[in-house]
Amino acid sequence: MDILIEVGLKLVAITIAFTVVLLIVAYTVLAERRVLAFIQGRLGPNRVGPGGMLQPFADLLKFILKEDIIPDKSTRFIYFLAPVIITMAALMTIVVYPFGPEMYIPILGRSIELVIARFDVALLYVLGVASIGVYGIMLAGWSSNNKYSLMGGLRSSAQMISYELSLALALVGVVLQAGTLDLQRIVEAQSGWYGLGWFVFWFQPIGFIVYLISAIAETNRIPFDLPEAETELVAGFHTEYSAMKFALFFMAEYINMFTVSMLATTLFLGGWNVPFAEAIFGRGTFLFGVVSAAGFLVKVILFLFFYIWLRGTLPRFRFDQLMRFGWKFLLPVAILNIVITATLALFGVV
Amino acid sequence: MLALLFILFAGLAIGCAIAVVVQRNPLYSAISLIGVFIALACLYLLLAAPFIAAVQIIVYGGAIMVLVVFVIMLLNVEEEVRRPTRLVFLVPTAFGLAVVLIAQVAFILYSVHGSPLTPREVVSDTGLSASIGIGLFTKYLLPFEITSILLIMAVVGAITLARRSFLVSREEQTPTGARILAMPTSPATKAADRSERADEPPGGPGAIG
Repeated sequence: MDILIEVGLKLVAITIAFTVVLLIVAYTVLAERRVLAFIQGRLGPNRVGPGGMLQPFADLLKFILKEDIIPDKSTRFIYFLAPVIITMAALMTIVVYPFGPEMYIPILGRSIELVIARFDVALLYVLGVASIGVYGIMLAGWSSNNKYSLMGGLRSSAQMISYELSLALALVGVVLQAGTLDLQRIVEAQSGWYGLGWFVFWFQPIGFIVYLISAIAETNRIPFDLPEAETELVAGFHTEYSAMKFALFFMAEYINMFTVSMLATTLFLGGWNVPFAEAIFGRGTFLFGVVSAAGFLVKVILFLFFYIWLRGTLPRFRFDQLMRFGWKFLLPVAILNIVITATLALFGVV
Repeated sequence: MLALLFILFAGLAIGCAIAVVVQRNPLYSAISLIGVFIALACLYLLLAAPFIAAVQIIVYGGAIMVLVVFVIMLLNVEEEVRRPTRLVFLVPTAFGLAVVLIAQVAFILYSVHGSPLTPREVVSDTGLSASIGIGLFTKYLLPFEITSILLIMAVVGAITLARRSFLVSREEQTPTGARILAMPTSPATKAADRSERADEPPGGPGAIG
């Protein structure tokens, strides 16, 4: 009987987490269009529903109703497989993030943890799944049989492989400091200083900046959006995709933004740690859990806003500049950060 | 339950492995190989070795296979054409060797099954990252360091081969890496569009990087 309750709770958690994430992703698209419009002195989409609130659903309906065009000379099977791979890889990482602390639920009469799956190598799992996502873009570019798509696919795979290195090395500092790969325990390690013992303040500022830059490159966003540079490559790897398949690529990009922001929040910004929440509500109570989970979401949304802000203000790199920056600046800085953190750990400072 | 999962992933691994050999399109073979690696990672998970499983996906599924797929896409390898088998004696040899291999496996299975040794019912932390880290930096420190020296040698060798400027003058070099991808008229796509040449910095492609 106990195992049935356990499975039921997990199913509820999965449903809630995925619904919330997909809703936030849908509204990120709307927020992006509106914030960009305000940056550029326009109004943005504000016709569908109050203040444009129903715009994402109108877009979705349009995507479903559009004709699905398949290029004649494409490699059919891989052409269908690519959007599936990229969306699945983007969604799969959601399961390991701790959305909140262990909290008491009055209805159930027991405490639960606000994380779907908790295991020893959660951080490595995130990196592994992220590296599978590259195939979606590469294969989409190749199977379309279009020179712009192929260029976009090749550029993106080169870019993602290069920046994955600095991204992973930026995380090593955090792992050295926390002494574990389990995300929940990494968050708990940041609970000191009345909930302000975040790794971004205590000895990982360099790691945070390196992570931030390489995360933007990993998600192919401006200023690193070379794979879909409109001025040179039409739309890059998804030039030949239309209707729902295009929507899948589009969605995957925003889900990736969201998961990357969640990882940044978890590792550097204290995860669900809200300043003074523990002192006010006490550990393990229902209110503490609600406030912490809300704090987590607020931090993630601030990150998403930062992404949109960057898109509104920065121009695009040239490809060789991108590569030079990644290999000759970001990678050495990430390694330097590891050396500094290891030295601090050796002398027992952290 | 575990047996069911094992059959599922083992079947996936074998099916993908057969597809690697049988497929004529090299890209399909590469994708099947990715399938093999992912299925193997799942099998490691069933053996309570999550660290090895994650590393398997990151290193083999993520890094090495990306490189293979990248090369296949860049060279645009054609579909392989079936030719009549020339070395006919290889076919019976292969069957004979396969029989020997199966016999060996069957013997091992039989002897393990018949032995009195059964796994002890203790919780072990063997597959966890902490125990692997401790092992690598204490008991197996020397092999670990030797492996890292080997890897550094490989990196240095690759860079030396890529930077042929010691051997060839700059003008004669074929454009490589980032320079190919930065060029609108890339050898990879043979695009005939010359209009964006003006975007390049003075000195042409040779001056970049």
